[in-house]
Amino acid sequence: MTPFVLLAGVHKQWSPTVSVGPLSLELQRGEIVALLGPSGSGKTTVLRLLAGFEAPDAGRLVVDGEDVTLLPPARRRCGMVFQHYALFPHLDVGENVAFGLKGSGHEGVVLRKVAEVLALVGLAGFERRKVQELSGGQQQRVALARALAPEPRVLLLDEPLSNLDPTLRERTRRELGTLIKRVGITTLFVTHEQEEAFDLGDRVAVLNEGRLEQLGAADELYERPASLFVATFVGRANVVRGGGSGTARALGARDGEVLVVRPERLRFADAGLPGMVRERRYTGAAAFYQVETEHGERLEVLAGPEAARVGDRVYLEPVRVLTFPEERA
Amino acid sequence: MSSRLARPGFTLLLAWLVLYPVVIVVVDSVRGDAVATFVSRRGEWGVLWASVWISLASVALAAVIGVPLAFLFEWLEFPGRKTLGSLIALPAVLPPFVGVLAFLFLYGESGFVARAVQAVLRLRGPPWRLQGAGAILLVHAYSMYVYFYLLTRAGLAKLDASMLEAAQALGAGRWQTLRRVTLPLLRPSLAGAALLVFMTALGSFSAPYVFGGGFRVMTTQIVATKLNGELPLAMVETVALALVAAVGLALLRRTEGEEILAALGKGEAPRRRPIRRASVRTLATTAGWLLALLLLLPHLTLALVSLVPYGSWTTETLPPVLSFVNYQRLLGEPERLRPLVNSLWMAAASTLGAIALALAAGALARGRRADRWRGPIESLVALPWALPGTVFAIALTTTFSVRAPLALRWVLVGTVFLLPLAYLVRNLPITGRAVLAGYRQLDAALAEAAASLGAGRWATFRRVTLPLLRPALAAGGSLAFVAALGDFVTSIVLYTYDNRPISIEIMSSLRLNELGVAAGFGVILMVVSALVLGLGVRR
Repeated sequence: MTPFVLLAGVHKQWSPTVSVGPLSLELQRGEIVALLGPSGSGKTTVLRLLAGFEAPDAGRLVVDGEDVTLLPPARRRCGMVFQHYALFPHLDVGENVAFGLKGSGHEGVVLRKVAEVLALVGLAGFERRKVQELSGGQQQRVALARALAPEPRVLLLDEPLSNLDPTLRERTRRELGTLIKRVGITTLFVTHEQEEAFDLGDRVAVLNEGRLEQLGAADELYERPASLFVATFVGRANVVRGGGSGTARALGARDGEVLVVRPERLRFADAGLPGMVRERRYTGAAAFYQVETEHGERLEVLAGPEAARVGDRVYLEPVRVLTFPEERA
Repeated sequence: MSSRLARPGFTLLLAWLVLYPVVIVVVDSVRGDAVATFVSRRGEWGVLWASVWISLASVALAAVIGVPLAFLFEWLEFPGRKTLGSLIALPAVLPPFVGVLAFLFLYGESGFVARAVQAVLRLRGPPWRLQGAGAILLVHAYSMYVYFYLLTRAGLAKLDASMLEAAQALGAGRWQTLRRVTLPLLRPSLAGAALLVFMTALGSFSAPYVFGGGFRVMTTQIVATKLNGELPLAMVETVALALVAAVGLALLRRTEGEEILAALGKGEAPRRRPIRRASVRTLATTAGWLLALLLLLPHLTLALVSLVPYGSWTTETLPPVLSFVNYQRLLGEPERLRPLVNSLWMAAASTLGAIALALAAGALARGRRADRWRGPIESLVALPWALPGTVFAIALTTTFSVRAPLALRWVLVGTVFLLPLAYLVRNLPITGRAVLAGYRQLDAALAEAAASLGAGRWATFRRVTLPLLRPALAAGGSLAFVAALGDFVTSIVLYTYDNRPISIEIMSSLRLNELGVAAGFGVILMVVSALVLGLGVRR
C-alpha cells in the first residue's frame, strides 16, 4: 500500500556533532503515529521538518503523493498544534479558529465552519471569548480546532498534553484520541511519555540521538524491542552486562552480551539466582522489590505485595530474558 | 529581494545611514592641521574636560536626588503616594529644551523668583545671574534625576524580598542589609541610570547654550567653531566628543552586572511599609506635594509667561496683563505658524522612517538565517544613541555637503531634507529599542502557527506580527516623535529657513525679547508632547 505520508532518508545536520536522521518513516492514511524519545532525540525536529519549519539537508517528504520537500509551510496543508498552543493573543477564539479559513468563502461559510469545528472540540458558543480567559484544557482544544478548521491533510501535535496538569491530562488524552479517530485524519505526534504514546498511537516510532530505533505497535516494542535502547526506554528493565559478571552468567549470558529482564519477568522461586531483599516499594496491587545478588548487583522484581520482606533471602528465576550484543549498548 | 540578500543589503543601508557619516568625519578630521590646532590650544582641552566633569557631576547630583526618592515611593506607603509618584516623573516626558526655557522664566535673572527676591529685599538689580556651570548643573539635576528615580524604582520593584529576609535572618541589620544586599542588587539599575545621565549630560546642548554664558562645553564649542567657519576644527572637536562618549559608554557598561539582572525578578518584591506615626505621615505627604510643586513650577511658569503680551511686563513682580494674544499671533500669522507645521511634518516623517527601519531590523534580526546579522544590525540601530546629537549633526553636514554619487554622497545641506534625516537617525535607537524588544517578546511559534494555517510571509506580518507589535510601535513611535518635535541640538546645526523648527523659532523670539511668543511655542510643544505620549502609552 502506498503510504500517505512518507519521510524518505530525511537528514538534518545542526552542528558537526548534532544531527537528525537519515530517517525514513511511513504513515498510512488515517493512522496515528507517536514519536517517542528522550529530550534531544530529534522528535520535534522530525515534526518541524514535516511541517516545513525546518528544511532537510537531504531526503524527501511526501504527503498524499505530493513531494512537499521544497514547499513553504503555508502551502503544505499540515495542521499543527504547538506545545504552548501559540494562540494569537490579539484575536478571540472565533478569529483564531477562522485564521486559516481566510479566502475560503463567504463570511457566512467561514462562521458556519468555525461553529462546526468548535462544536467538534466541545466548545460550541465560545467564539467571542478571549483566549487568555480560557483554561489550559480549553486553550488546547481551541488550538486543535484552529488546526483542524482548514481541513489539513496531516495533523501534527507537538507534546499536546504536556502543558496540562496530570488530572486533566488523562481525560484530555482520551478525548483527543476519540476526536482524531472521528475526524479520521492522519496524525503524527510528539511525546516523551510512554503511556501517552501507547495510548494514542496506532504505532510508535522510538527515536534516539536523531535516529529511528524502532517503529511498531506498543506490544511489539515492549515484547520484541529491536535494540537495548528501546528495551530500556520503553518499560522498566533490569540491565545486566555480561563479560565476567556472576549474575549475568547465572542468567545465561555469554561474553559480549547484555541481558535485559523486565521486573515482572523475574519470579521468586525455590531455587535459582540467590540474593537478599534490600528494599520493598509497595504500589497497592503489587510491590517492587530490590534484590541484591551475591555478586553485588541489584535487580528489580515485580511481585505480589506479600511475596517477600526486606531482609529475606530469596532465589530468583527469570521467565524471559532479552539478549543484545554488547557493542550496540 | 530574496531573503538571502535582504540581510546584507539592509545592514549596508543602516551602515550608510548611521556609521558612514561618522567615519567620514573621523577620516576628514585627521587630514590637514586641525588636529594639531586642537592639541595645541589649551582652551580645547579645558572645554573637553568641562564636558566630562559636568557630566560626572550631573550623574552624582541626579543620583543624590533620584535614588532616595525612589526608595521613598517604592518602600513606604503614605497618602497621595501614587499620584505624587507619577507627577515627579514628569520632567522625563517633556522636551529638554522646554525645561530649559521654563527654568529661564522661573529662576533666570528676570524670572519670577529673582523678581520676587528683588522685591522682598528691595534690591536695585537682580539678586543673581543664572549662568555658568552651576546653572547648567541645576538644570541637569532637575531634568535628569528622573532616570535614577525611574530605574531605581523599577529595580526595587523587581527585588526579591526573600533575599532581604535572608540577610536579616543571617543577622544583618537594616543598614547592613541596605549596604550589603539591596544596593549591590540594584547595581544594574544604578549603572543603567548613571549611563543614561552621563550620555544625556555629555550630549546636552540646550542648557549649556542658554545658561553657559562664557562657560563652554564641547557641544556648544562645536557649534561655535562651526559658526566661526572653522569646520575642520569642528570635526576634530566632534571626534573628541565622540571618543569621550565611547569611553564613557564602555566604562559604564562594564559595571552593569548582567548576572545580577538574571538573578532578579524571581521572587516577590518587599511589601510597602505604611508610615505609622501620623505626624511623619503628614510630613511625608506635605513634602511630597511641595516637591511635586517645585518640579512642576517651571512648566506652570511657562504657561503663565505665554499669556503675557509683548512689552506689558517690565519691572513688576507678577505680570500685570494676561491675554491669549500670543497664541492668536502664533496660530494666526502664517509666518509664525510655519515653524510649528515644519516641526510637525519633520517629526512625523522621521518617526515613520525610523519605525519602518526598526520593523525591518526586527524582522531581519530574527529567524534561522539571522545569526550572523543580528549583532551588526542591532549595534547599528543602537549606535546613534551612543553619540551626542552634535556629533551626528556635524557628521551629516560633512557627509552630505559633497556630490559624489559613487561614494554614496549627495548634496543635502541647504535642502529641507537633511534635518528630518538627522531626526530619523537620532530616533532610530528609540524606535529600534522598542520594536526589537517587542519582537523578542513575540513567541516564534505564533508566526509558525500562522504559516501552518496557510498564511504567507506578508500575511503573517500583517495579520499576526504587526497587531502584536502595536504597543511597542506606539510607545517607540510616540517617544521618537516627541524627541524630534522638541529637538534643538541637531536643528541648530542643520536647519534652513524653509524648515526652521519650533526650537529655533523659540530662540529667535527670545533674542527679540518676545518672551510671551517663546513661552507660547514652549507650551504648544509641551501640550503636543504630552498628548502624543499619552496616546502612545495607552493600552
